[in-house]
Amino acid sequence: MSKVRTFEAADLDDVANLFQRLLRKTSTPANDDLKSYFRQIFLDNARPEPAFRSRVHLRDDGSVSGFIGVLPVSMQFKDRQILALDCGSFVSDDRDVDPFAGARLLRDVLSGPQDLSFTETANDISTEMWKSMRATVLGSYSLGWLRILRPASFAIEAAANHMRALKLMRPLGYAFDGVLSRAVGPSSWLGYEQTPGKADAFLTEPISDAEFAALLPRLLTQFEIRPVWSNGQLEVMLQHAARKRNYGERHQRAVKNRSGKIIGLYLFYGSKGDIGRTVQVVSEPGLESIVIDCLLRDASACGLVAVRGASQPNIIQAMIGKKCAFVPAAATIVHTHDRELLEALKSGQAFINGLVGEGWTRFIGDRFE
Amino acid sequence: MSDDTKAILRAFIVENFLFGDESQPLTADTSLIDNDYVDSTGILELVSYLEETFGIKVADTDIIPANLDSLARIAAFVDRKQAG
Repeated sequence: MSKVRTFEAADLDDVANLFQRLLRKTSTPANDDLKSYFRQIFLDNARPEPAFRSRVHLRDDGSVSGFIGVLPVSMQFKDRQILALDCGSFVSDDRDVDPFAGARLLRDVLSGPQDLSFTETANDISTEMWKSMRATVLGSYSLGWLRILRPASFAIEAAANHMRALKLMRPLGYAFDGVLSRAVGPSSWLGYEQTPGKADAFLTEPISDAEFAALLPRLLTQFEIRPVWSNGQLEVMLQHAARKRNYGERHQRAVKNRSGKIIGLYLFYGSKGDIGRTVQVVSEPGLESIVIDCLLRDASACGLVAVRGASQPNIIQAMIGKKCAFVPAAATIVHTHDRELLEALKSGQAFINGLVGEGWTRFIGDRFE
Repeated sequence: MSDDTKAILRAFIVENFLFGDESQPLTADTSLIDNDYVDSTGILELVSYLEETFGIKVADTDIIPANLDSLARIAAFVDRKQAG
């Protein structure tokens, strides 16, 4: 008889192959690197309680037909500690012939005793399934923002994501953007426009994983719902985040005022000519606009044609007037029976995506070789 | 099983899975899966509806075709749960 049970080491091959086939869209079997990473993320550091562990769905013959990865996150909500489960890695085979597998997996996890379940990477199908479980989509966390820095180069790069040969046209894009820039002059529509007395009065500099991990919690105290990382945990996550070879060079930087005080942090990826990807941007309350401008300045300086990231309510507010586009992205969805917690989540008082979700793992942005 | 229960379930299925199309075949034994009337989302929607409407608790092990694949099976499942 088909059933749902906790994920075990014996399932590694099946789960990694399912992930490879359904999410990475390749018929090549999962290699040892990917299997080992599944073990590291979902087994080695799993909590002992079955309710807080990842699950598999087994067919009648015992073969694996679905998987939901669970990453427990300790969080602070007002004056109490809560346990959240990030349930972003969710795959189900045979969806047409066996719609019960995915339904049972999701329901099994969401009916557990945790305070909060969430995902920040839900596609359209997952979103509908979560909504059927009376979960709530957080609209202001489910938008992607995009700031174009070099319009012609961006158009070529965006098209080249679908047809690689178009990368040969990159020099044309650079030339056209150069001509445009000289013809139009300084413009906030073309790259980063200097802001003397504002962002340009602030410096940015690269910082180590240890420094980033030490500084981030202080900047998160403004959020009513925020992660509580144990000693060394965030630093380990940042070490994972160092390996995103599909995203290009890593830029992990701090923003400092003239007295040397750090007022913001960000982590984005991209090499010259790329569309950069921001995993996290955070600032002291009220200084979001400055920190975003500094990010755009750094992104422009390292030759990115555009930069993008996931929204948060305070970031959206600060991006108004910065020529950013907002587009639908993977949905951030929460499920909780705690009304007070839900109201706080809906009103944008949570720090819940990026490094809190799966943005730090190699599953997003790295190759497995 | 009362006729009222049957009617309530049928109305839910027509409204949510057949989008109000009464002309689609839906006998007591019509398979909701074989006819592509429900997918994973539909199963979850159905289970939540049963819990909220009939005051029953559906366990993970209950979510199988034997209980939920047709109008007759769902109605019998609800009856068993309410009795038990």
